[in-house]
Amino acid sequence: MLTLLTSFKVARGVVFLAVLALVAISCSDFLTSAPDDGDVFDAPLEGLTAAEQAAFVRGDAEFGRRFSPATGLGPVFNNVSCISCHSGDGRGRLENSLHRIGSVADGFLGAIGGPQIQDKATPGAHAEPIPTGVAVSVRLPPPVFGAGLIEAIPDAALIALADENDANGDGISGRPNWTTSHEYVPATEPGGGAGPRIGRFGRKAQTPTILQQTVEAYHQDMGITSEFHPQENRNPMSPVPAENFDLAADPEVPSATVLAVVHYLRTLAPPAAGAESAARAEGKSLFTSVGCAQCHVPTLNTGLHAIAALANKPVTLYSDLLLHDMGDALADNRPDGGASGREWRTTPLWGLRLMRQFLNGQAFLMHDGRARTVEQAILLHGGEALRARTAFAGLSVGQRASLLDFVESR
Amino acid sequence: MPPRARLRLLVGGVLAGVAATLVALHLAAPSAAAAQQRDTTRGDTSRVERPFVRGGVYDKPFENRLGSRTAFGGYAEAHARHERADGATEESGFVAKRFNLFASARVSDVVRFASELEFEEGGEEIKLEFAAIDLRIHPALALRGGMILSPLGRFNLSHDSPLNEFTDRPLVSTELIGVALSEPGFGALGQLRAGKGGRLTYELYATNGFHDGLITASEDGTRIPLGRGNHEDNNASPAFVGRLAWSPRQAFELGLSAHRGAYNVFKIEGVDVDERRNATITVVDFDASAAGIRLQGEAAMASVQVPAGLVGIYASRQRGAYVEATREFGRGLVRTLSNSIFAAKVRWDGVDFDSSLPGDSHAQWTLGVNFRPTRESVVKFDVVRGRTRDAFNNASERAAFLVSLATYF
Repeated sequence: MLTLLTSFKVARGVVFLAVLALVAISCSDFLTSAPDDGDVFDAPLEGLTAAEQAAFVRGDAEFGRRFSPATGLGPVFNNVSCISCHSGDGRGRLENSLHRIGSVADGFLGAIGGPQIQDKATPGAHAEPIPTGVAVSVRLPPPVFGAGLIEAIPDAALIALADENDANGDGISGRPNWTTSHEYVPATEPGGGAGPRIGRFGRKAQTPTILQQTVEAYHQDMGITSEFHPQENRNPMSPVPAENFDLAADPEVPSATVLAVVHYLRTLAPPAAGAESAARAEGKSLFTSVGCAQCHVPTLNTGLHAIAALANKPVTLYSDLLLHDMGDALADNRPDGGASGREWRTTPLWGLRLMRQFLNGQAFLMHDGRARTVEQAILLHGGEALRARTAFAGLSVGQRASLLDFVESR
Repeated sequence: MPPRARLRLLVGGVLAGVAATLVALHLAAPSAAAAQQRDTTRGDTSRVERPFVRGGVYDKPFENRLGSRTAFGGYAEAHARHERADGATEESGFVAKRFNLFASARVSDVVRFASELEFEEGGEEIKLEFAAIDLRIHPALALRGGMILSPLGRFNLSHDSPLNEFTDRPLVSTELIGVALSEPGFGALGQLRAGKGGRLTYELYATNGFHDGLITASEDGTRIPLGRGNHEDNNASPAFVGRLAWSPRQAFELGLSAHRGAYNVFKIEGVDVDERRNATITVVDFDASAAGIRLQGEAAMASVQVPAGLVGIYASRQRGAYVEATREFGRGLVRTLSNSIFAAKVRWDGVDFDSSLPGDSHAQWTLGVNFRPTRESVVKFDVVRGRTRDAFNNASERAAFLVSLATYF
C-alpha cells in the first residue's frame, strides 16, 4: 500500500489540487441552495412539531403524485396530479382552467357532464365536450397555500365583517356563503358536521372544509376515487360503460392518502410579503383610502386550532372571505351554494409577489385568468367594487403606480 | 539407458510436450467465441476484423472459456451517490448497481450465440438483456433471432459500465430511448465495403415493439421506457428497428437508426377496437477520435401518437441528446500499475419530455476523472450539475457527486 501511495509522486500534486477543487465547490453553492421559505408557495408553517412536519412531507409527496391510467386516473379527468394544476402550489394557468356548468336549480346539468366538465379521458373512454347553450364558468386553479389559516379563522370574525343589506351605506354588502358540508365530512373536521357552514374555499366560497375540497378535487379533477367518495366519476353521455376503461379497482386511494393531502394543505404557509418602502407605504395608504381594503381586509385572526401553529395567529390574506356582487362583466351567471351568478368570494391577495415566478413570467388574474396585470384586474371590478375601481382610476399616475407596487408586493 | 529406451523417452517426451503445449495453448488461448471478441477498442484493425459494434455484443474483450466452446464473463458496477436538489439531499448512499453475466458460444463456423443476464439494483430487477442466435451466411448477411438489443443509437448497443466513461448513462438514453432496450425480434445484420478501409454496417429487425405502458403505466407523462417488456406481442403488429452506420476508418463512426411500430391494442380477433397509434424514435449517433480526444454523442427524437383524450397531458413529441469528450492521460503514472491510465471527461446531456412546452425537461453537465488500473476496470469520479423544469417551466437545481467502480470479470 505504501509503495502504491508513494508511486503517486507525480500524480499527487494533481490529485491534491483536484481534491481541493472538489472541496471548494462543495462548500459553495455548487450543491444547490434552498430558496427562503418566504419566497415559495410550498413551505410549511413555522412552529410545526416533528410529527406535524413528517405528516407535511408525506402530504407533499401525495400532492405531487401523478396518476396514470394504471393507478386510477380517469376514466374522465382534467389533470393527472394536484401539482399539475397548482404551479408550485400557486395558481394555475389558462390551460389548466376548469369548466363548471349549470346551476343548483338544474342539478348542475349532471346529464351532460356537470357540475364540472372533464375534458380529458383515458384511452378508450370519452372525454366530456364543453356544452354550448348553458352557463359555463371558467375557473382558474387558485393558490392552495394558507388554507389552514383560512380554515382557522372563526365564523364569528367573518360574520362580523358581513353587511348583507349594506346597513352602513358604503355600497358594499358582503355576506358569507352558507353551505353544507358533504356527509362524508365528520363533525370533528373544521367546517364539518350537519347544519349550515360558512364556505371558505373555492372561487365562490362554495366549500366549507379542506377535506371536502380535497376529496372533490381527487374525484372531479383527477378521476380518483377514495374511501370518502368511492363511486367513479363517469361521462353520462359515454356510449360505453366507464368500467371498460378503468384499470384500477375502487377506491383508488385510501382515506389516509386524502388525509395526508388535507394535512399538507392545512399546514402550507403563505409566502412572506415583500420589503417595505416609502412608495409601498404610500400604496398601502391609498389601498385603504380608495376602498380596496373594505373587501380585501388586510388581516384577520385565527382562533383555537388543534395545530398550535395555526392557533391565534394573524392572517394577512387581504380578504374578508365573503361574497360580493362584482357586476355584470365578471358575472358567470352560475349560482353555487348560496352565491349568485354575480357574486364571488373576495380573492386573497397574498402571494401576488411571486405569481409570475411560478407561471413562467406570466400573470393570470381574476377567476378565469382574463386579467394579465393587477391594474387590469382592478379595472375589471364592478358591482360593489365599482366605487373603489373609480377611485383607483382617478388617482394620479404616480399614485396608481404606488398602489399597484404595494399590491404586487403582497 | 539403452538407445531404444532413450528413443522411447524422447518420443514420449516430445509427445508429452506437444500434448502439454496443446493443452496449455488450448487453455491459454481465447475461446472460439472470445477469439472474435478480443479487445479491439485500440489499435487499427482491418475492416472485417473490426468489431461489428465497438464494445458491443461480440466485442466483450474479457470473456473466458470455461472448459468447452462456451465462454463466460460479465461485469459488475457499484455506485456511491450523493445527490441534492434545491438545497436538500435527495440521496446519499450506495447502490449495487449492476451484476451482468455474459455467456456466448461459437457453435459452428456459421452459428454463434451470445447472451447477457442483468441483475440491477441489488437484484431488484432481473432481466434477460440479450440472448440471440446468429446465423452468419456472409459478412454482408447474418440472420439474428431471439432477445435482441435494439439497434437504436450506438449507446444501446454498447453500454457496458466498464466501457462507459461516466457513472450514469446519458439522460436521453435512460429517459427517452430506454437503454438497455431489448426486444424479442428477428432480422438481419451485416457489413459492406465503403471505400478503402471503410465500411457500412446495418442491422434491421422486426420486433414486438413497445406496449401501451408508455402511456397507461406512466405517471410522468409519456415515457417510452415504460413501454418496454412487450415479451408477448400485445397487438400482433411488428415494429421495425434498424441502424445504418458508416465508418470510414477505425476511430470514426456515424450512425442513423429508427424504431417504429404500433404500441397499442387496436384490433382483437379481427375486430377494430381502437385507432392504431405508433411510436417512432429516430436517433443520430457518432463516435470519433481526434487529437487524443474521443467524442461521442447521440441525438434522439420521439413521436408518439397520443389518444385523443390525453392530448395536452401526455407529450406527443420528445427529444434529447448527449455529447461527451474523454481525454486519456497519465499512462503508467502510477508506477506499480504500468498499464494504468487516467482520463478526464466532460458530458452535456439533456432531454425534453414535451417539445410543445417550454418546460418539462432535464439537462445537466458532468465533469470528472477516471482511473483505470487496467483496461478492464475503472473507478469514476463524477460531478454533476443540472436543472430540471416542470411543465410550468419552474426550475429545480440539481447537483451530485458520484463515485463508481466497474470491472469486467
